[in-house]
Amino acid sequence: MNLPVRVVKGSWQNWLGRVVLFGGVGLFMFRAMNEWSRSGLGLLTDALIIAIAVTGLNLITGYTGQLSLGHAAFFAIGAFTSAMLVTGKVWSPFFTDNIWTPGWTMPVAAVVCFLIGMVVGIPALRLKGIYLALVTLVFTEAVRALFKYGEFEGVTGGATGIKGFGYLPPSWTGLDGRSDLVKWFFWLSLAILVVVSILSAGLLRSRIGRAMVAVRDNETAAAVMGVNLFSIKTLVFGLSGAIAGVAGSLYALKLTLVDADIPIFGLFGSVTLLVALVVGGAAQNWGPFVGAMFYVFVNDFARGVGEAPSDAVILGWFVDSGTKINGLGGVTFGVLLILFARFVPFGAVGTMRMWRSKLVQVVPRVPAVAGVVDSRSSGPLGEEGSGSVDSTPSSIGAVESPGPIDPDRPDSPS
Amino acid sequence: MSLFIERLVNGLADGSIYALLALALVVVFRSTGQLNFAQGEIGTLGAFVVSTLTLSGLPVWLSILLAMFVGFVISAGVERVVVRPIEHRNPGAVIVALIGVFLAVNQLVAMFWGVDARGLPNVFPDQADDFVTILGAPVRIARLGVIGVLIVVLLLLWLMFNKTKIGLAMRAVANNQESSNLVGIRVGTILVVGWGLAGAIGVLAAALLAPSAGLTGTLMLGPFLLASVAAVLGGLDSPVGAVVGGLIIGLTEAFMVGYVDFLGADMLFPVMLVILLVVLLLRPSGLFGSERVERV
Repeated sequence: MNLPVRVVKGSWQNWLGRVVLFGGVGLFMFRAMNEWSRSGLGLLTDALIIAIAVTGLNLITGYTGQLSLGHAAFFAIGAFTSAMLVTGKVWSPFFTDNIWTPGWTMPVAAVVCFLIGMVVGIPALRLKGIYLALVTLVFTEAVRALFKYGEFEGVTGGATGIKGFGYLPPSWTGLDGRSDLVKWFFWLSLAILVVVSILSAGLLRSRIGRAMVAVRDNETAAAVMGVNLFSIKTLVFGLSGAIAGVAGSLYALKLTLVDADIPIFGLFGSVTLLVALVVGGAAQNWGPFVGAMFYVFVNDFARGVGEAPSDAVILGWFVDSGTKINGLGGVTFGVLLILFARFVPFGAVGTMRMWRSKLVQVVPRVPAVAGVVDSRSSGPLGEEGSGSVDSTPSSIGAVESPGPIDPDRPDSPS
Repeated sequence: MSLFIERLVNGLADGSIYALLALALVVVFRSTGQLNFAQGEIGTLGAFVVSTLTLSGLPVWLSILLAMFVGFVISAGVERVVVRPIEHRNPGAVIVALIGVFLAVNQLVAMFWGVDARGLPNVFPDQADDFVTILGAPVRIARLGVIGVLIVVLLLLWLMFNKTKIGLAMRAVANNQESSNLVGIRVGTILVVGWGLAGAIGVLAAALLAPSAGLTGTLMLGPFLLASVAAVLGGLDSPVGAVVGGLIIGLTEAFMVGYVDFLGADMLFPVMLVILLVVLLLRPSGLFGSERVERV
């Protein structure tokens, strides 16, 4: 048997691969829910929430090539929107006593973040690379400062934040209110991640998705070919922000409090999301999930390595439990990031794809004219209808695409 | 009037620190095209080295020079060991690696020196009566000294870039690495020297800031962010821009806190965002940055 084995897209072998992959992940999730401890499941839920936000970031940074360090702001806006609506801090027309049902605040958070994201997308028309990254980073800190601002205390809670809300499982879930809270948030996060991933994969197959990749690969060329840069950038920034906003909303409901000083709402949140994206694999459909898992669990491992000397050190990277990684643990995590960047430069998923393509390649179905399955063309450019949105592991914003060419569709198993 | 002078000098002094750090960022950006996330933390580490050396009895100025050398070596090492093997493979991964360096250095400092704030002696006279009177306003000598250091560093950098062979080589590498290589410049050495220089400048900035701000593990976090804003404001590839940007930020901070009561220090970043947007939407590469012409 010659390697690599070529599997025709849409054939039963291809479907078998997908079933094995999705089944494996599904089985893992099911076992985790039943067998893991509460804290382990809580950690897994955190990873899922991060994965949702990174899925949003992936749209704008991975596929459209606009480096954003502003997604912690959307995360924060989503969180505060939920907290404000649920506790009745702002007027709401549809619910009695101004109090929203927690579940309904998520779509509101998405809409709010979508609108703000569209506005944030406007500077992206003029700014590139690090300039855009810095502006979005300052946007993050500016949003945080506004939430903390004393004059707005009546609405945002000012420096103390908002406490005393939550999201108990509705009765149709059959979960018991308080004791199954961890499971409830786990399933809710998983469900939202699945929905968001499907929507994002659908978007990437559409006309808009191709325009996004065209903008990433060469903006000027894309504009010449008729892509409307203004619409694409503002729309994708909006969508991307909306997804991060839903994640933030979920995070707030799980944490049952919001406070502008929570690190993930600021600079470190933005950095966390970007690191998770790059570590998992930018412009890879499984990248956000793998990156978030890596981030949360390796971070947790590193935290176990070193004792915390004091909590004065800045990096309470992942704040849910209020613990911080410090000293030796922090050094370990930093060194792990360096090693990862050195040896897995295209992220876990990108690198696995490269290895896998040496064994198995998924090729598009060839029109029946030639009658051969094995007519592999030179690459994505030569392939009619392959639509390889993420055919090569992409670096952020970079035009060149080193590494072997892997003519896969985004939905093929890794 | 005297209050105005005082705030002006304070703004310029803080601005000088941001300008120094922004200069360091610009030197790295020109050679590697990256924002060095670890710049501030290398400075913090240097400031702790200064603290240890002065406690062992060395004079402050000598400690700072030695610490600058340490900063040079560490920063050069980061370029050689961490950045160079990655940058040709994936620029996105370099950001992650530099964030890793940031975290590792930050936590190393916490491991070695603990997290309690400590004082750092000032290299300039900084007693209660060490001030001069300018237009009726008492101005602390230490604050003027910081501004003086910025001017000296600028002068030295200008001399180095324009009058020495290595400066010429650095400009060539910033302009075009491949061509520089072809005319016989050792690009690798130049990159190492550039990063090292940036590390040394970063340590100097931290050592000047620490006496007034208090030396803690988070010393350079805020200044690093503001210096990045300054560098972007002035243009990431322009040393002049870095200085102008740094002074703009320092003055904005001083006057905003001083004169605009309802904003105060808490609203620094919203104001920065507005300034940044106004400047960058008019000039996308910053005030003094050079526009990149892109070919399709």
